[in-house]
Amino acid sequence: MGGGSRVSDEGAALLAGVDRAAFAVALAVRLRKSGVVVGTTATQAFARALGTWEPRSIGMLYWMARVTLVQRQADLESFDAVFRAVFCATGLALDPAARRGSGPAGAAAARGSYRSVPGAAAVEVAGDGLPWATLPAAVAPADGDEAPLDLPERLPSRLSAVADVPFERLDPADLALLGDWLAEGLRQWPTRPSRRWDPHHSGRRVGLRPTMAAARRTGFEPVALVRTRPRRRPRRVVMLCDVSRSMQPYVAAYLHLQRAVAVATAAEVFAFSTSLTRLTAVLARTSSAEAAIEEATARVDDRFGGTRIATSLLTLLSSRHGEACRGALVVIASDGWDTDPPEAMVAAMSRLRRRAHRVLWLNPRLAAPGYEPLVGGMAAAAPYCDAVLPADRVGALGDVVRALVAGR
Amino acid sequence: MADEPERVHPDEVRRRLDRVGYLVDEGLATALALALSLGQPLLLEGEPGVGKTAAAKALARAWGAPLLRLQCYEGVTAGEALYEWNYQRQLLAIRLAESHHQTLHDADLFTEEFLQERPILQAVRCAGPVAPVLLIDEIDRADDEFEALLFEFLGEASVTVPELGTFVATRRPTVVLTSNRSRDLHDALRRRCLYHWIEFPDAERVVAILRRSVPAAREPLVASTAAFVGRVRTLDLEKAPGLAEAIDWLSALTVLGVAHLTRDDVERTLGAIVKTPDDGDLVRASLDELGYATSDGA
Repeated sequence: MGGGSRVSDEGAALLAGVDRAAFAVALAVRLRKSGVVVGTTATQAFARALGTWEPRSIGMLYWMARVTLVQRQADLESFDAVFRAVFCATGLALDPAARRGSGPAGAAAARGSYRSVPGAAAVEVAGDGLPWATLPAAVAPADGDEAPLDLPERLPSRLSAVADVPFERLDPADLALLGDWLAEGLRQWPTRPSRRWDPHHSGRRVGLRPTMAAARRTGFEPVALVRTRPRRRPRRVVMLCDVSRSMQPYVAAYLHLQRAVAVATAAEVFAFSTSLTRLTAVLARTSSAEAAIEEATARVDDRFGGTRIATSLLTLLSSRHGEACRGALVVIASDGWDTDPPEAMVAAMSRLRRRAHRVLWLNPRLAAPGYEPLVGGMAAAAPYCDAVLPADRVGALGDVVRALVAGR
Repeated sequence: MADEPERVHPDEVRRRLDRVGYLVDEGLATALALALSLGQPLLLEGEPGVGKTAAAKALARAWGAPLLRLQCYEGVTAGEALYEWNYQRQLLAIRLAESHHQTLHDADLFTEEFLQERPILQAVRCAGPVAPVLLIDEIDRADDEFEALLFEFLGEASVTVPELGTFVATRRPTVVLTSNRSRDLHDALRRRCLYHWIEFPDAERVVAILRRSVPAAREPLVASTAAFVGRVRTLDLEKAPGLAEAIDWLSALTVLGVAHLTRDDVERTLGAIVKTPDDGDLVRASLDELGYATSDGA
């Protein structure tokens, strides 16, 4: 860290006389409490940044804190909320989304040539209103007054509480089957060749580096050529599960399947009915299957409603997780009842088909005798699928695995 | 650690980058200034075409620093990023020694003479008057193994060659990593970096940037180009045009000698901002709503 308290040489500094280390730690503690991942290195970097130049405006402080303390885009919202609560009690909109105004063509906001942080003018410069102004009181007050913090509520959503219907539970026999399937599936997960080369006796290419390294033992005579071949990696899986009303009896089972996939491999899992919800982060937690499934259930706030499959697929493809579909196995679990027009489904599925390696559709209704995919959405989607499989019982998931592996 | 780098104020970063034709907002200026002042790597994320790579290039130009660039791809190895031994020369040296009936040892073969420097080692050993800017482009395209390979360099600005020892940078190179978020980076990598998410700039900044990037463009054309791209971005496109596409498009229109944007001009140069057939159809179908009705054509 830099020297002691380096006093600024020009103008009025925002944090004059503040213990920088205590200030940085207090802010980091507060951020951590609201769910932002802040490590010691980041806190140290923030303290060093404060020592490099004194922030002269809230805007500058905001950017210094954001660049050093936040390490992922998902945390920006929480960070903005905490920063607003701490520094701009006036409640002005701080987050970039709010500052962006009415859209790219809006152009109305007259905020000078640089986008600055509103609220800068409304902030008092004196240090005594801030809890970290003096060293002894630096951390303690920051701990005490957590209640008025205006943080986004994470779980569960109020919307979901209204339409709260318990998922059907899998019976233990089915769960055991699911576990077996996972163990079986892991052994033969579909793979793709990667660009990295591994030594292998039947490889096609001579690895210069390992050959020379081995040759050092034989007086630099390359006696044995080390051959290499491409290493194979597990192929990524993107799985979407329909949680609309018509799918209600199957949702619990599919969530278990999603969790199994998310834990086992590099997978992205989503739920959709009228909108798309990403469940990867929740389901991939290894602690407890029950807790993970419950949390995922709570996170989907529009379950058991209508279905907009095409819209959800397009949302996925244009979101930043859309890249995950490239070269992946895409598994869609839905009965194909769609309120979007079939043309939208054709557009979504053709785009998905071009991007994905294989598209697999799990339709639980397929197992019913006499069923034919005459529903508009299903009929439109079927030509773009490599396989449409019935998956109405856990036992049938074995076929799903075989279909996945077959298409490596 | 290397000696403490000089302190650079965000305003100075902004001024200097402005001089080389790259406009930055307060956030990016602060991020770059911190990267320079703290000697920490800077991880830039943002949607494609928002100027992540250009930021590093402009930084190098503004400070007159050599720019070293490492384009990442899956399977990039130490041999392409850090260093490689010149095996062919080593073998020749062995043959030569044999013909002179000399004995060779490891120490004779693994010397700097046979070391081929790759971008990261070059950045560490760079001896110029200004610390170099190292651009590690699209780190998300590399794999976990490569991220792990970077940790020593990102943390300590040093590279260890087992046969020779550890090279430590006398002046910390300014390291800029860019990512398009095609996969999540490991926490250990993020921990070692400063982080900045580049937002797509607002309309007036787009105009300012376009004006700087294509000085030959006529004034009304710049404004209508920026406005059109802004409106196209609100459509539900597979690949929304970024700043880079807007600049390309304006250059294209300028080369064609367009002074005022008409429907015809939009249609024949649409390929500069729209990159898939589906998107092209959608934009063409929306031209009326976008303010370029058929009657508008010359």
